[in-house]
Amino acid sequence: MKGSSLTIGIVATVATISFIVGLTLALTLAMGAFTFEQLVFSVAAAGAIEFSILVVALPGTFRATVSLIGALLSVAVLFVLLTAPFVAVIQVIVYAGAIVVLFLFVIAYMGERPLAAVADPLVRWQPVAWLVIVVLAAQALVVLLTTDLAVRDELQEGGTVATPGGENPDFGGPEAIGRSFIDDYIVPFEATSLVLLVAAVGAVLLAKRAVQLERGR
Amino acid sequence: MSGSGVPLLAYLLVSGAMFLIGLLGVMIRRNPLMVLLAVELMLNGANVTLVGFSRFWDTTDGQTFALVVMVVAAAEVVIGLGLVVAVYRQRLRLNIDEMTRLRG
Repeated sequence: MKGSSLTIGIVATVATISFIVGLTLALTLAMGAFTFEQLVFSVAAAGAIEFSILVVALPGTFRATVSLIGALLSVAVLFVLLTAPFVAVIQVIVYAGAIVVLFLFVIAYMGERPLAAVADPLVRWQPVAWLVIVVLAAQALVVLLTTDLAVRDELQEGGTVATPGGENPDFGGPEAIGRSFIDDYIVPFEATSLVLLVAAVGAVLLAKRAVQLERGR
Repeated sequence: MSGSGVPLLAYLLVSGAMFLIGLLGVMIRRNPLMVLLAVELMLNGANVTLVGFSRFWDTTDGQTFALVVMVVAAAEVVIGLGLVVAVYRQRLRLNIDEMTRLRG
């Protein structure tokens, strides 16, 4: 058992490193020059995809949740690369801070209970799930590879379109986000507060009913 | 300014990969906690696309929407975990395929 997990670890490490190097090389060839942005992006992309796979593949809920932290932090790095520092900070605080801690509290409260091995009436439908994934992935690849997104990138390099931060040094900062919320999106902003209120009341109601069912135990 | 060392296509591919992995998790996992985790993955994949296009078009709109998505995700996790705990406290087995009482 220990030997096999060691093998899996070595294979995963080699796969990760080759993925990072390959992605960096591909980006360098595609864009014509090497920048550290490409290296950081490759590392973050590898982290995001690998931790996502771990979240879905690991049997234990605790380990899956800890893997989710890795995926969320990798996504935060991607946000920083996309000149969205405020969103990246909120990602770390709200997701990796609040939401994951909530998950960990619930898991600690319930204990790591293995799923009872019952006959699963739906297990024969699992190939359909894989089929859906493969079809969607093929569709996404076809759409992405036949869409000419590069036009916009070249425009940015040519300088005809302002690069992020070129005219507005606060692009993606708290002030820009705040202005966007207050000036253009005041209704979604207020709707957000309503959603939070409903969620809080709902959580309290759920907890209260559970306590009543157990007669205050 | 870093210009465009990484094309938008790369971000979209990563985002799509995360979304599909999350969708697979939603469909094949039976523990409701794991399903919630997979939903978080899907939302994050969508957020990468939003922020990516936000940079692509040089507007803050995508980032604003990504923040709204995060709030909705937080609310969804609160309610989802509340349901999971409620089911657990009634000594039911945590298996999504067995929670069929509301089936029409």
